[in-house]
Amino acid sequence: MDNTVKRLLERLVRRIPSRMLKTTLDKWSRLTATQRQSIDYTESKWALTEKLLAICEVFMLVSPWFHTDVIENPNLGMWYAFQLMDPQDDAHSVELTQFKEQFKSHLSELIRHVSIKIKKHTDEAVWIRIAWGDTFSRPNHLKPTYVVHYLQTPYVFLSSLTSKQKPLLSQALVLSTRYQAIKDANLSGRKLTAIRDLLMKQYLQVFPTKFPSPLAERNRVVSNLHIEKEQAGSAANRHQMACEAFGDGLLPQLQSAVYKLETKFRDHTNKTMTERDEAFRCVVKFASTNLLESLRHSASSGVASTPVTPLLSSVPLKGKNYFVITDNGPGPSSQMKPSQK
Amino acid sequence: MSLLKPFSKLPGLNTANILLVESEEQFQQSLADVLVEETSVTVNVRLAKSLPLPMENDESRPRIDLVVFIINLTSELSFQSAEASLKYLDPGYFLGKVCFMVTNARNASAPAERLDAVRKLAASLHCPLLFAEDQTPDGVASATERLLTILKVAAGLVPIATALYVSNLTRCTLPLDIDQPSFD
Repeated sequence: MDNTVKRLLERLVRRIPSRMLKTTLDKWSRLTATQRQSIDYTESKWALTEKLLAICEVFMLVSPWFHTDVIENPNLGMWYAFQLMDPQDDAHSVELTQFKEQFKSHLSELIRHVSIKIKKHTDEAVWIRIAWGDTFSRPNHLKPTYVVHYLQTPYVFLSSLTSKQKPLLSQALVLSTRYQAIKDANLSGRKLTAIRDLLMKQYLQVFPTKFPSPLAERNRVVSNLHIEKEQAGSAANRHQMACEAFGDGLLPQLQSAVYKLETKFRDHTNKTMTERDEAFRCVVKFASTNLLESLRHSASSGVASTPVTPLLSSVPLKGKNYFVITDNGPGPSSQMKPSQK
Repeated sequence: MSLLKPFSKLPGLNTANILLVESEEQFQQSLADVLVEETSVTVNVRLAKSLPLPMENDESRPRIDLVVFIINLTSELSFQSAEASLKYLDPGYFLGKVCFMVTNARNASAPAERLDAVRKLAASLHCPLLFAEDQTPDGVASATERLLTILKVAAGLVPIATALYVSNLTRCTLPLDIDQPSFD
């Protein structure tokens, strides 16, 4: 077996945490049952690696692909969402084999040494793993780029892509999906499932209704007859408006929202700043373990005023978490215009 | 302006009604759950986020014997909301039927100025100032006990003691050096 492949295997095994090693190797279908049983998991990791290498040597494996643990945990590293623009006539009928062939051929034409693996996951997601090399070196399997695309939707999710690789990948994606352009969707997060659910609106939506609950008795969750809430009506109102803006139930876990302000400074008490002509540049970042949950709670508890301001409700509505806000003309209605960069 | 009036309704037999006003609506729920467990007296608890109370409930609302303002010292909003609610109370309440309860006094993120401000407010209104711990059931139980003591007097259920008399003993007083900077 090749030395580089051996080293690669060593490093990959080292990266997997010890407690997950058994499950990962079980999922990796290249090892037979007897081989798996022969591995003693109580040994030290170093001894285990040596044993594994010996087993693999015997069967002359060439390209180990531990992608199973990435698919099972698609929550490592930052994911960035992109959107394909201007579909051509046959964009909606692109199916898997065609996409696979086209993508592989386009990307291989653009860059010589590149290793591409495409796999369709059970939930209709197409996972692409790309190991980049250049004219002088073999593909680097330790820093692969992962691309997730849902066929027949214009959404693509990327992870670990450098600025040099970006135009090549964009070109290949655009050509193989039969669209004309690709743009940044201004949405990023640590959890792939979360940004996917947000973009494709796969969480519980609440629609505005005139009569929120048809039966008044249904909402009577009184803990005790002697305890009564005075302002239950307005609390229910706030909760309804918060849910309409952000959704009900479990919300996708977004970690941050960034607002880049390029507006004029407005504060009557501070004359020096207000008199300046140029825009006041400022970046506001909201961060949380579950940002949408926090925003919804702040609206329903009254901390954020209801009806929810479009600045906050744009996050789930437009599926973005990076906004550039500029002044646009006179009047309060055009004071805020979330535009993308 | 819809003021809450202390004596405009008839009292109930062996009943005490308490109104808990808290901007964050957290501690009031746990206090209420323990307050209603009192057996010697029927305690009715009304919960509100701020005053004024909605007019729709005026008819069904019983006579409120004690109004408790719960202030979280780590939140400026909590303090401001309580201060703003004070003007919706009839002055008759300030004769022993209002009480301030403060949480998170030992929290490092609570500035000392805010506690001083609450103290000054309570002292100027001649109301008692209670400190409570809201995270443990023991803290909630002891806060409830103290509230019940004051509530029973305010509802007139304790012979010989009246709310005004007791408030003279329990009202918050300012230490003489409250305006001096502290040596932390």
